Amino acid sequence: MFEFSLHVATIAALYGLLALSLNLQTGFAGLVNFGQIALFGCGTYGAALAFNNQFGPVVGLLLGLVLVSLVALFFARLGRSLGSDYWGIATLAIGQILLTIATNETWLTGGAQGISGLPQLFTGSTRLQGHLILFSVTLALLAATWWLFHRLTQSKFGLSLRLMREEPQFAASLGYDLDGLRRSAMLVAAVPAALSGFLFAHYMTFVGPDQLFSTETFVVWTMVVIGGLGSHAGVVVGAILTQMLFAAVPFAKDFFALPSEYVAAMRLTLIGGGLLGFLLLRPQGLIPEKVGSIRG
Amino acid sequence: MRAALLLATSLLTAVPAAAQTTIGAIIPLSGASATQGEDQRRGIEIAVEEVNAAGGVLGKPLKVIVEDSGGRPPSALDAAKKLVAVDKVPAVIGEYSSGITLPMAQYLMQEGKIHINAGSSSNKVRQIGPTSFSVIGLEAVSSRFSAVDALAMGWKKVVVIGPNNAYGHGMSEGFKEEFEKIGGSVASTLLYTEGQTSYRRELQQAAQFKPDAFIYSAYGKDAALINRESFELSVNRTPWYAIYFTMCTADSKPEFVTGQYGMDLNFIGANGKGYEEAYRKKYGMGFKTSFSGYGYDAVKVFAAAANKAGSAEPEAVKAALMEVGKSYEGATGTIAFDADRQRMLQPYLKLRRGAEGMEQR
Repeated sequence: MFEFSLHVATIAALYGLLALSLNLQTGFAGLVNFGQIALFGCGTYGAALAFNNQFGPVVGLLLGLVLVSLVALFFARLGRSLGSDYWGIATLAIGQILLTIATNETWLTGGAQGISGLPQLFTGSTRLQGHLILFSVTLALLAATWWLFHRLTQSKFGLSLRLMREEPQFAASLGYDLDGLRRSAMLVAAVPAALSGFLFAHYMTFVGPDQLFSTETFVVWTMVVIGGLGSHAGVVVGAILTQMLFAAVPFAKDFFALPSEYVAAMRLTLIGGGLLGFLLLRPQGLIPEKVGSIRG
Repeated sequence: MRAALLLATSLLTAVPAAAQTTIGAIIPLSGASATQGEDQRRGIEIAVEEVNAAGGVLGKPLKVIVEDSGGRPPSALDAAKKLVAVDKVPAVIGEYSSGITLPMAQYLMQEGKIHINAGSSSNKVRQIGPTSFSVIGLEAVSSRFSAVDALAMGWKKVVVIGPNNAYGHGMSEGFKEEFEKIGGSVASTLLYTEGQTSYRRELQQAAQFKPDAFIYSAYGKDAALINRESFELSVNRTPWYAIYFTMCTADSKPEFVTGQYGMDLNFIGANGKGYEEAYRKKYGMGFKTSFSGYGYDAVKVFAAAANKAGSAEPEAVKAALMEVGKSYEGATGTIAFDADRQRMLQPYLKLRRGAEGMEQR
């Protein structure tokens, strides 16, 4: 049971990184990103491409960061000419385009068959020990990102992000450089998403386009909405809760001896219904954003 | 009330864990491949009933804990960890898509558990490791058969059509390789995005190559649309050849697919016929996809091996699987493992769709 819990906790922490990243973009900067999974994919494919070309994980990490910076800058560049809702649609489209490239450029990405056999990053004296190290590293990263994002959003920079979210025209009239703000927000938010992808790739030992379907973006969205848009603590709690719910469903099935085919439908209903319920009844999420908490 | 009833029935039917032999299965019961996953589940269900009617495994009833992968790699790994760490099963059957089968099986192998592949045909499955077995013939097996069959039909130049996913990539590349090896040529390979509302563009594009025949493989709903539109565009005047025929025509109207050629799994053998009848009786229809048979055979082969070994422990079952897998009569034909524990033989049927239904060529 311990090993299983460790696995669930590791995945939850990896999702926590993704949720923090999406929250900085959407919750603070008002950048409604429906292509979040593409940032994650930069991390996974960075690791996979390096591995496929006989480079070590360090190169993979760097490659992932370079890729994600380019994608983030491209996202930010689009934001200059598009309104926020149109921008959201464009990010979804870019996510799909990158997915199409990953599926079809077989010579580079292994195509739909993906790239398999990536090594585990940490090998302790036992596999469990290696896993414990991975979990500690992920947890430390999550904590560091949380702390950094907390500091950032409490600063003047955070205040200007919120101003951009609420009143972009007003912010522009005050002389705020919206393009620069968008660029910095996207770059800062992209890094933990890519790190999450990098760790995930080595943990799964496999990278393929199946991991980058747009539905995965909406899993992260669910976590953010349940937790509370604009609240760092909230979205981490949302990520942990959602992952625990995912992991708990099979046990509920065994306990009540439910047939598997109903359980599959139940899981979808839980996620979809939960999201809808929160949007209708508690749109601010479990831990709402604190307004007026910054002195700048 | 309903919850209380469910709880009551579950308590009544619950058998103490020690009194049964438990293995796991991870298949896509939701998500994009749910149709194939549900069919795998049906095969597993029928096999468990038959095994238990015949006395179970090691004198105890067999139980297969079926987990949903949702078509997501993380959920499949969640399920694998649960089955291994919590339910402590010696063997796991699964998955369907190779992008999920590979990481899942890699984990099972590290844990020393038996993995039985009942749905992925990617050649990469071969490299998983010493505890991984396949009851489905990998790409190389099926593409060689269909390439030889197509050339024997007198077709020299063909266009290959398939879904743009791991299965389609493997199928089309495998076919091309084998077909060109024996002197045929593939004028073009068209991989379509699944779930479109029309495939006219793809079909017109394919027709421009003026091939001797179209080689295609597609899942139910997509196949139905492709067949209808190829009929409407008269593209079907050129012969069509289906890889996994029943899967390609299950949802299609008969008039659109009459005259097509194809190959499919052999359900005609002594065990296959009985299985086909059991399926029809239980679910009131013919096979929905070709994958239920593999789910069925995976369970049966495990049960046979465990009974032979006198133990359900992975090491013992592994040795017995090699023994049983020298020649096992499954529903999908004779199963024989090669040195890499992959199914090397798979008898396929050469079929033609006549006005009355499938005919053997």
